[in-house]
Amino acid sequence: MNEPLKVLIVEDEALLAMELESLVQDAGHSVVGWATSLAEAREVVDSTRADIAFVDIHLTDGPTGIDVAEYIDDRKNSMVVFMTANPKRIPDHFAGAIGVIAKPYTVHGVTSALRYLQEGVRRPPPTSERPAGFTLSPAFETVWAPGR
Amino acid sequence: MDWKKTREPADAWHMTDDLHVEQGKGDPFAAAIRATRMSMIITDPRRQDNPIVFANDAFLRLTGYERHEVIGKNCRFLQGPKSDKAAIAEIRAAIENETDLSVDILNYRKDGSSFWNALYISPVSNDKGELQFFFASQLDVSDRKRSEHRITADKDRFEKAVRERTAELEAALEAQTTLLHEVDHRVKNNLQMISSLILMQSRAASDENLKRSLGTMLERIEALSTVHRRLYQSKDVSKFDVSDFARDLVSELLTASGRSEINPKLDLESIIIPAEKATPVALMVNELLTNALKHAFKEGPDGTRSGSIGIKMSQPDGHLNIEVSDDGVGMADANGDASFGMRLIKSLARQLRADIEWRDAGPGTRVVISMPNGPQHKGNLS
Repeated sequence: MNEPLKVLIVEDEALLAMELESLVQDAGHSVVGWATSLAEAREVVDSTRADIAFVDIHLTDGPTGIDVAEYIDDRKNSMVVFMTANPKRIPDHFAGAIGVIAKPYTVHGVTSALRYLQEGVRRPPPTSERPAGFTLSPAFETVWAPGR
Repeated sequence: MDWKKTREPADAWHMTDDLHVEQGKGDPFAAAIRATRMSMIITDPRRQDNPIVFANDAFLRLTGYERHEVIGKNCRFLQGPKSDKAAIAEIRAAIENETDLSVDILNYRKDGSSFWNALYISPVSNDKGELQFFFASQLDVSDRKRSEHRITADKDRFEKAVRERTAELEAALEAQTTLLHEVDHRVKNNLQMISSLILMQSRAASDENLKRSLGTMLERIEALSTVHRRLYQSKDVSKFDVSDFARDLVSELLTASGRSEINPKLDLESIIIPAEKATPVALMVNELLTNALKHAFKEGPDGTRSGSIGIKMSQPDGHLNIEVSDDGVGMADANGDASFGMRLIKSLARQLRADIEWRDAGPGTRVVISMPNGPQHKGNLS
């Protein structure tokens, strides 16, 4: 059995963050931090160790989710998955992120994405099928899903 | 010595000016050149600075000078501040290389006014090929130049107007796209919020019936969410691929419910429906599939409820047909017209002007929906 994931949530909507936390916990993982802006995210990233950061693009200080992803990517202390209703705003290089879960996601969509990510983080590449509603970045596509 | 060749000296042209009436009268060519309306001059490159040695009256009329003011001078006095440097260089090169040249150049009259001169220069050589003169004619083409300039100006103005209008339209389109993205973003976020609220409420509920009820509600909201996610992911937001949606929905419903013992049978043609029909069709399909999953299958001796669920989509002649079937217990106890799910299906069918039919498939139930779905390629039919 793979070790559960430590998850960081970067999301400005409290309701969504709360519910996402419950989903993460229901799936057997833990949430180690919650940030609503770029500044908060930097603080949490510097002080906490997470395996996966779910990052929304629109935060309280604007569309700074990309900057959050770049900040995390520079430090290489966790991996980023965007979680946004606006996937078209993600740059082509994905700022180093694994991929994107498009909002509105379903409970099952998040649950299966968590399973897929757990496999990918602990023992890459993931063995279960890539969940619908989860899109891999081009860079991870070649590593996690070659030839698909 | 050849008498004929010496009868006229090589500089007979020169003499026509110098000797005026006497010689000119006897030479019809010289008389013609003197009298023509076309401005003409002759220069002598063998003399210092290639001066004008002959100028006809038309030249004097065109330039406003007296004859004595031009004879003996190089014709660069016609040039002025706005004469094109490139054209001057071309003239210089033609003189140096002894070639002929046709060029438009802005020249100046004695009174300082300017005119466009369609200049033609041609070298004149003797039998031995030695350069004797340059012959030049001048034609005032100011009118043609003016209309050329006007056409160019009109073209520039027109192109500028087109550019401005294009920029305006592009800006308007961009504003519209931004607005669409903004609205799309809000719709999706709000759907996510609604799902989250229902989930939280469901977590807090202790009553099993209430939990089930909220669960069903969540499924419906998630079906709507999936429609919206798919709709705005595609390039054309006005079209919706209903078979792709059905494929995703079946796999999501089966794996989410953990019912791996149920075997899905998909027979899906690729069918595009207009976006405004996406939500009701999606909700109806969701309702039929979840209904079958929940009620069609009896618990077997191993504690599981196995069977198969089929969904078939086809589009014979302008119709969209959807069949949802199962091989479960049949509809004997599933005719609950009063149930909310059933009412939902019937209302949506009415909205879509769909015929809906429940058939006993023995074993199981087959629901057949048939609705008009216009021509598929409107644009291609003319």
